[in-house]
Amino acid sequence: MSKKIGVFVCHCGTNISATVDVEKVAEETKKNNPRVAYTTTYKYMCSDPGQKLLRDKIKEEGLTGVVVAACSPKMHEHTFRNAAVKTGLNPYHVEISNIREQCSWVHPDIPTGTDKSIDLVRMMTEKTRKDKSLTAIKVPVTKRALVIGGGIAGIQAALDIADGGQEVVMVEREASIGGHMAQLSETFPTLDCSQCIMTPKMVEAAQHDNITMYTWSEIESITGYLGNFDVKIRKKARSVDLDLCTGCSSCWQVCPCKKIKSEFDMGIGNRTAIYIPFPQAIPSKPVIDRENCILFKDARKKNIKPNDSKVCRKCIDACPIAPVKAIDYNQEDEIVDVKIGAIIVATGFRELEDGLYGEYGGGKYEDVITGLQFERLASASGPTEGKIKRPSDGKEPEIVVFIQCVGSRDPAKGCSYCSKTCCMYTAKHTMLYKHKVHDGHAFVFYIDIRCAGKSYEEFSQRAIEEEGATYLRGRVSRVYKKGEKLIVLGADTLTGSVVEIEADMVVLASAMKAQDDAEQFAQKLSIQYDKDKFFSEMHPKLKPVESSSAGIFLAGTCQGPKDIPETVAQAGAAASKVLALLSSDELEREPVVARVDRQLPPVFSTCIGCFYCQKVCPYSAIESEDIKARDGSVIKTVARVNEGLCQGCGLCAATCRSKSVELEGFNDEQIYAEINALEFN
Amino acid sequence: MAEETKFEPRIVAFLCNWCTYAGADLAGTGRNQYQANVRVIKLPCTGGIDPLFLIKAFERGADGILVSGCHPGDCHYNSGNYHARRRWNVFRPLLEFCGINPERIQFSWVSAAEGGKWVETINGVVDTVRALGPFEGYQKINAVGSDASGEAATSGDTG
Amino acid sequence: MIEALRKKAEELLKNKTVDVVYGYGEGSVPERTRPVFITKPEDVNKLTWNKYCVYNLTTYLKKQESRKLGKPAIVVKGCDAKTITVLIKESQIKREDIYIIGVTCTGIGDPPATKCKACDVNTPLIYDELIGEKIGNKEFSFEERYAELDEYEKLSEQEKWDFWQKQFEKCIKCYACSSICPLCFCDRCIVDKNQPQWIDPSAHPRGNLSWNVTRAYHLAGRCINCEECQRVCPADIPLNLLNKKLAKETEKNFKYRSGYNVDDELAMATYKEDDNQDFIK
Repeated sequence: MSKKIGVFVCHCGTNISATVDVEKVAEETKKNNPRVAYTTTYKYMCSDPGQKLLRDKIKEEGLTGVVVAACSPKMHEHTFRNAAVKTGLNPYHVEISNIREQCSWVHPDIPTGTDKSIDLVRMMTEKTRKDKSLTAIKVPVTKRALVIGGGIAGIQAALDIADGGQEVVMVEREASIGGHMAQLSETFPTLDCSQCIMTPKMVEAAQHDNITMYTWSEIESITGYLGNFDVKIRKKARSVDLDLCTGCSSCWQVCPCKKIKSEFDMGIGNRTAIYIPFPQAIPSKPVIDRENCILFKDARKKNIKPNDSKVCRKCIDACPIAPVKAIDYNQEDEIVDVKIGAIIVATGFRELEDGLYGEYGGGKYEDVITGLQFERLASASGPTEGKIKRPSDGKEPEIVVFIQCVGSRDPAKGCSYCSKTCCMYTAKHTMLYKHKVHDGHAFVFYIDIRCAGKSYEEFSQRAIEEEGATYLRGRVSRVYKKGEKLIVLGADTLTGSVVEIEADMVVLASAMKAQDDAEQFAQKLSIQYDKDKFFSEMHPKLKPVESSSAGIFLAGTCQGPKDIPETVAQAGAAASKVLALLSSDELEREPVVARVDRQLPPVFSTCIGCFYCQKVCPYSAIESEDIKARDGSVIKTVARVNEGLCQGCGLCAATCRSKSVELEGFNDEQIYAEINALEFN
Repeated sequence: MAEETKFEPRIVAFLCNWCTYAGADLAGTGRNQYQANVRVIKLPCTGGIDPLFLIKAFERGADGILVSGCHPGDCHYNSGNYHARRRWNVFRPLLEFCGINPERIQFSWVSAAEGGKWVETINGVVDTVRALGPFEGYQKINAVGSDASGEAATSGDTG
Repeated sequence: MIEALRKKAEELLKNKTVDVVYGYGEGSVPERTRPVFITKPEDVNKLTWNKYCVYNLTTYLKKQESRKLGKPAIVVKGCDAKTITVLIKESQIKREDIYIIGVTCTGIGDPPATKCKACDVNTPLIYDELIGEKIGNKEFSFEERYAELDEYEKLSEQEKWDFWQKQFEKCIKCYACSSICPLCFCDRCIVDKNQPQWIDPSAHPRGNLSWNVTRAYHLAGRCINCEECQRVCPADIPLNLLNKKLAKETEKNFKYRSGYNVDDELAMATYKEDDNQDFIK
C-alpha cells in the first residue's frame, strides 16, 4: 500500500520564510509528488497549535507518513515524532527536512533557498515513503551513577544523587576531593570562607552510605551505553593503604623532601614528598609523590623495586601502624571494574598558564601571580596563613595592580571567550587585600566590568566606592621590573592617558581553560567538545546539562567557565536528570539498530557468514547464529545483531557486500530513495 | 561558451550525524553563508557510508561528492571514521584508475564545533568542481538509451 | 609429480581422510585440462598435473554441488592456496575441514599467464602435503609486483576514462567473473538485490560501470590475483587490472597482502589509527 504523506512547512516566524518561499515549497511539493497527499505551511510548527495542526491533519487526511520542513532534526525531531505518536502513527514515519540551519539561515537569496528547500523536502519525502514502523528497544538500567571529578560540581551532584537513594561512584584524580573551590580563600559576593562551606560538603560526601569514593584514581575506559556502561577505574598507586592509614601525620612530618612546590598552593607554598594536599583533605591520608621522593628516585636509578631501596625509609619507620605498616612502597596501580547506569562529568577547569603572558612578566617575575595564587596567599590555611606577602621577599605589598581579562577575550592567546568569574573575583581580591593591608592601594585594569548576577553589581560597586580600589578602563601593555618594583604600563581609555604604576605585586586574572587532557577525555567518553575543548552540551538552551552521548551529563566548568552558584545549580540539574533516569527499571532506546535479514527456506538468510560485520563492529554486537535443520545439523552459520548492544552506527551495513545487514531508520531502501530523489538528471 | 559560465555544480554531501551534520547546523546558527549547491544526506556515521551510495549519487547526476565526518579520535562510535577512512583509501584510487577525477569525490573531517570549516570545505568543493565543469563522462553514460544521444559512452570528456 | 599426486590421492581416499579429491584432469585437447572430482581410489589415474592446469579449483569450495561430495582434498598451486587462507579468515571453511595438496609450480599457461611473471609462491604457503620438489620462493619488490599497472596509471584522466569505458561497454553482465571467483561467495550478489536495485542489471553503460567498480571494490584486500575473472570473461575485459590496482593500494596503504598470512587481520575489517589520510581535508 502506498503511503499518504503530509508535508508541513514551517515559517519559523520569519527565520525560514524570510529567505525561503515556504508557500512555493509546499505548492511544488504537492504538485510534483503524487504521494504527497497534503501540504501546508504554518508560522510555528513546534508551537502547541502547530503540533495540533500536525495531529489533526494526520487524522483527518489519514496520513501514514509526515515530513516536517523546519529546523534541524536535532531541535525538534523528537517533538514532532511525539506529536505523531499521540495520533497512533508510529513515530518513525516522521522525518525532518532541515530547511533552517542548512538552508534559510545560510542562503540569503530567496529563489536559491527555495529551490534547495524543494529538493531537500523531496529527498526527505522519498525517504519517508520507505520508512518502516519501529518499536523502541527496552534495556535494563544499572542503578548506579558515576561522577567524574570531585570538585564542588562533582560533590554536589554526588550528594544529590546519593540523597535521592541511588548509589554513586565518585572518581577524583587528585589525592583529595575538593577541587578548585577548596583552594579559594573567601567567595563572592558574600565573602564567606570557602573552606567553611566546602569542607562540610566534602565530609558529607565521604561519609555518605551511598557514595563510594576513589581518589588518586582516573577513568581508564568507558564502554557500553545509556543504562549499561562498563567503567574501568585506575586506582593509581598511592603507596599508602587507605584502610590501614589513620592519617596521623607521623610520616609527612619526618619526610626530608620539604621543598616540593605544592600544587594545591599553586606553587607558592611547599609540601613534602609524602603529603596530604591540604589540611582538610579528604581522605585525610597521604600519598607519596613518586616523582620527587628520593626513595623512588633511587629505585628508578638502580632499576630495583622501591621497597628494596635503602636510601630513605623515614616515613615507613615513622608509621605507627603495626604489624603491617600503612605505607607500601611497592603498591601498584589497580583496575576496578564497575557497572554504571549514568555518568556525570565534572572534571573542571585549569587556570591559564601564566607563562603565556610574557609581556606581563607571567612566569618570569615572582611577584606577578595568578588569581588562584592570590587566593592561596589570602587563605588562612595558605602558605602565609592569610597574610598578604609578596612571594619574592615576603614584604607586604603597598601597591597591587590587578589585571583583568588575562587570556580571556583575547583570541590572540587562544581564548576568545569571557571567563565570567574574573570581574567578580578581582573585585573580591581588592577587598581581601584592603582588609588585610589597610594602607595598601589596589589598581584594577579592566576592559568591561561584567557583574551580572544576584548582588554582584552591588559587590563590585562596593569594591570601588567603599573599599577604594582604583578601576582603570584599559589594557596593560607591559609589566617590567625596576629595582624591587614592578612597573605596570597601561592605558586609561576613559581619560585617554597612559598610566604607569610602580607596583609591588601584580595579580593576573587568568582565564579559565579546559583541562589539558579534555580532548582525549572527551574521546574516551565519545562526547563532543567545542573549539576551546570545553565539553558541549546537547542543546545550548534546552539541554544544557546533557552531553551529546545519551546517559552522560555535564556539570560545572568542564562545560564552560562558570562561578560556584552556577556550578552548583548545574550539578543539581545533572543529578536530577540522573535520578530520573535511574528511577526506571528499563529504558527505551531508539530502535536505530542493525538487522541481518532472515528469509524463508531454503535461503534462510542472504548472509553468508563472512563476519566482516563482526570484525568492524565497535560494540561486539554481532553474534553468530547456526541455522539448523530439524535433525540439528547446521545448515548455515550467519550473523545476528544483539540489539541490546547495537548502537546504530551502520558500520556493519556498509561493510556487508551482499547488503544482508541493514540499519533500521537508515535502511538500504531509505537511503536509496533519498539519493534517487536527487533530481539532477 | 555562455553555457559554461552558467554551470552550477551539483554536489551531494554524505555527513555523519554527530560531527559534520552538527557542524553544518552550527554554520547555520552562526548565519555563515555558503554556496547553495549542496544537498545533504545524513547518516549516523561515516562508517555507515557504502561506496555504492557514492556511485549512485554520480548516477543521479552529481558533479561532485563530499563525504565528511568526525576527526580521528572523535567518532561517536569510537572507530567508525577509521573504518570509513580505510574504505576511501582504496575506493578513491579505484575511481581515479577508472578515469574519475579524484577532486569530484572529496573527504573531510569537520567537527560539531567547526561551523567555519564546514563553510570553507563546502565552498571549496563547489569551487573545485565548478572549475572542473560538469561531469560529462558520467552524464553521457547515464544518457545512453534514454534519448537520441544514445551513442557510445566512450567519447567526450570526463571533466 | 603426477605419480606422487595420484598416490597421495589414493591414500587419502582409501583411508577415508577425505571423501573427494578436487584436481585437474586431462581435457579434450592436450592444451587443456578440466576439473575432476575423484571420489573412488580406483579413479585417481584421472588426475593429472601440467602447465595447462590454470584453473583455481578452490572456487568449487563455494559450490553446493561439489561441497555435497563431502570433505575435500584439493589440489592447489601456490596462488590458489592463498585463496584458502582468505576463505579460512572469512569463515567460509575451517582449516580442519579441508586437506590441501599443494603442488609446486613454475608457471602455467602457454604463453605463461601474467600472474606468473612476479610469482612469489612457487611453493604454496599453506598445505598438508606438498607434491613436487620444494622451490625457494622468490621475492619481488613492490614496483615489480605491480609493474603491469604502470602503463595504465600513466594514462591521463581522459585516457583512463576512455579506456575503461571501452572495456566496460563490452560487458554483457554474464557474471562469469563472479561465478568463477572463489571469493565471490555471497548467496545473493549485490547485483541481484532488487529492493533497492543499487546496480542496474541490464548491460547498460551506467550499470556496467557500477557493476565492474563494485565487483572490484568487493575484492579489495581479498583478491589473491588468480586472474580467473579475467580468464573467463567472454568480453576480454582486463578485470584483473582493477583487482591488481586495489591490491596495490591495499599494500601501499595498509601493508597488507591478501592470502599470505592467516594471522594477518583482514585489511578491510580493521584499521590503524595512523592510516593514510593525506587526501582528507
